[in-house]
Amino acid sequence: MNVRTTGQGIDLTACDREPIHIPGSIQPYGLLLAMSPEERILTYVSANAAPAFGLDRGALLGRPIREALPRLEALLGPDLGRADAPSGPGFARTVSLDTAAGPRRFDAVVHRSERATILELEECVPGEEATLDTLYPGMRRFVERLQAAATTDDLCRLVAQDVRAITGFDRVLVYRFDAQWNGNVVAEDRNDALPSYLGLRFPASDIPAQARELYRRNRLRIVPDANYVPVPIEALGPEPLDLSDAVLRSVSPVHLEYMRNMGTMASMSVSILRDGVLWGLISCHNKEPRRVPLQVRNACDFLAQIFSMQLDARERAARAEDRMRLGSVQARLLGYMAAEDVFIDGLVKHPGELMELAGAQGAAIVSDDYCLRFGRTPDEAQVKDLFAWLSRHHREDVFVTDALPAHHPAAAAYAARASGLVAIAISKVHRSYVLWFRPEAVQTVEWGGDPRKPARREAGAERLHPRNSFEVWKETVRGRSEPWSPGEIDAVKELRNAIVGIVLRRAEELASLADELRRSNRELEAFSYSVSHDLRAPFRHIVGYAELLKKQEMERLSERGRRYVDVIIESAYTAGTLVDNLLNFSHMGRTALKPRRVETRTLVDEVRQRLALDTADRRIVWTIGDLPPVHADPVMLRLVFENLLSNAVKYTRPREEAVIEIGSYREDGSTVFFVRDNGVGFDMAYVGKLFGVFQRLHRMEDFEGTGIGLANVRRIVERHGGRTWAEGAVDRGATFFFALPDSEGAS
Amino acid sequence: MPELKPILLVEDNPKDVELTLAALEQSQLANEVIVVRDGAEALDFLYRRGAHGSRNTADPAVVLLDLKLPKVDGLEVLAQVKADPGMRHMPVVMLTSSREESDLVRSYELGVNAFVVKPVGFREFFDAIQDLGVFWGILNEPPPGNGRTSAR
Repeated sequence: MNVRTTGQGIDLTACDREPIHIPGSIQPYGLLLAMSPEERILTYVSANAAPAFGLDRGALLGRPIREALPRLEALLGPDLGRADAPSGPGFARTVSLDTAAGPRRFDAVVHRSERATILELEECVPGEEATLDTLYPGMRRFVERLQAAATTDDLCRLVAQDVRAITGFDRVLVYRFDAQWNGNVVAEDRNDALPSYLGLRFPASDIPAQARELYRRNRLRIVPDANYVPVPIEALGPEPLDLSDAVLRSVSPVHLEYMRNMGTMASMSVSILRDGVLWGLISCHNKEPRRVPLQVRNACDFLAQIFSMQLDARERAARAEDRMRLGSVQARLLGYMAAEDVFIDGLVKHPGELMELAGAQGAAIVSDDYCLRFGRTPDEAQVKDLFAWLSRHHREDVFVTDALPAHHPAAAAYAARASGLVAIAISKVHRSYVLWFRPEAVQTVEWGGDPRKPARREAGAERLHPRNSFEVWKETVRGRSEPWSPGEIDAVKELRNAIVGIVLRRAEELASLADELRRSNRELEAFSYSVSHDLRAPFRHIVGYAELLKKQEMERLSERGRRYVDVIIESAYTAGTLVDNLLNFSHMGRTALKPRRVETRTLVDEVRQRLALDTADRRIVWTIGDLPPVHADPVMLRLVFENLLSNAVKYTRPREEAVIEIGSYREDGSTVFFVRDNGVGFDMAYVGKLFGVFQRLHRMEDFEGTGIGLANVRRIVERHGGRTWAEGAVDRGATFFFALPDSEGAS
Repeated sequence: MPELKPILLVEDNPKDVELTLAALEQSQLANEVIVVRDGAEALDFLYRRGAHGSRNTADPAVVLLDLKLPKVDGLEVLAQVKADPGMRHMPVVMLTSSREESDLVRSYELGVNAFVVKPVGFREFFDAIQDLGVFWGILNEPPPGNGRTSAR
């Protein structure tokens, strides 16, 4: 017979690779027998089985259980043969057996593994009779209290208390995993035998992946004595037996060392699953060795499952409540934004609510033009750098991370303030973001007790000491923040949608205004076109026919008749000229400027010569100063000088000798031109009206004109980015000024 | 002395026709003035078709073309004349009441020979029309061999 012992020589340093489901041994508080499903030939037996029944070593392996242990077969035969035997460990029944030491009671557990039916016999704890009847009142009380618990924290505290009440361990912890499988002690119930671990955190490496997988599959484990000597499993063949589901499975020596380092000689843990995923553990410790009956352990598992369901309900409620709360924060923010002309001001003036929306400790609103910061944020240069990085690499609507330095190494410099970042892009056109920051998680640990209190008992195994584990945890979570909850992320997404909605609405309003403007411009154009055709023509006809009348019927008209005809001609001519001027004025606003270098001196001379033709009979003294070339639209600039010079000529008509001075000077990056005359002048009280359309300061019969010339001057100069003004006094002459800026950016 | 070719006036407004004729009359031009009342008729005249199918007058020395006409407007007439190799040398003067720059630009693009905004003042109007008549009817020397009925 080939007897082997498997699973020797385990590498303690490689926790992740340790094959803990096939340790090749069990804990010594029970017996293990495994047999082929049909013949029930014993293929694996724990080394302590044969001696327990007073048999020789080797008397079991390879024999049918019916022959080797007939009494046992008789008692458990139906359980062993059940086709629907659970794949996980299932309590079958309590049986009384004769052993080498006399009659004993055993709790029997039967389950199926890949290659065998496994029977585990755990000797009942003497004096601790645990049946469903005795456990029921405590469990019922627990369920009632659970239902009354308001929060997840309350639930966790209750489960810790009740599990300790049922099991009698010195300390019961509720241990919760985060997204990276770091653990956090969220509740605790204990006596003074062991120190508090409440609030402590442990690195993911403390419970490696394959251990977590076993926790998920097999929800309950117990190590009654950390100093136990493993009992090897003897096998018929070379394959090791998979003990994933076994109650008695021997645990990793690393785990035992861990326990001893923590000063706990007995431990039990119950897995808490949510939707098939490991949520956490109920972890029980005892300073001295302690074994809890199987029935009690099963009761704990039952409690854990109820707890998990309650947890689900509570967290759903909390999420709903959270959403409601965030919804009201969001509604307030929207209200603030709606009340402002610039909607961003609504956020800027209420940074508290802005931060609350995402549960952040800092926020910033940043674009190419501004960088506004609130609460705990990186400094301005860092936020701007972050902005540049985001707009290069993360143009998506919402960017969320709880490990910013892993994405953007430069952020390591301010990890303490901003390891977590939520960014929303609030405009596609102009790069702009709202940012929320969360500090590094290490700084937000809420100490439930003094982390230094757990004393270091053994100097040898520092790596696994709890206090040391905490240090390791700090190392593993550097550059990470608390994760952003789905509710928080939804809230900022909704805020973004609202902002984009506002921006879009504003843009649409602007677009419709622009449309309106285009439409009215088109109408104006159509209007001026029809005026141009349909209004000028009748005036032209009136003038023309009146002239013909005057010419051909001169002799037949009386003196008065001839005067009437003259008035008709004069009036129609004035009206026609007015139409021409109006059209000019409207053109001035519409036609594009074509600025170029203009020799002002030449231009003024030409204008002056043309005027001289009409004023040959008058004495006019022209004084022309220095007139530098300027950058302007030559046609428009000519109109300006034509208007100003003809005005000067016109309003000096009563003077025997008109003196008209044209000059220029430099002022504030502009060239200022002026035209001064010694004419009739004007009252400075009306200076504001001077450049208005159809503003006349003189009686029509004194000075001809339509009153639009100076309006044209102002319009042209303003379109060149310049300004106009005038000085004068009644009967003391007038000076008209216009300034043209040096810039070539005339529009 | 070459035979005087007629002046073709294309104008729909009877008042403008009368005023223009009065102005041309005063200039003492001997050229015959032929008046047509819209763009379609102008083209009929130029291409000797329709009511003008049997005209025996020479091609005009100048076309005084109002811009805004019923049926076929002045710009279209201009475009056809200037696109026709046999006719594009014929001088066309656009007369208009409009001061729209776009009309001016478009006319020059199509190859107009002159563009005159009818002045409001009678004297100016008369001067303009008379200048046009004298210039295009007498002074302007047409290109050699131009015109299908050129009779020197």
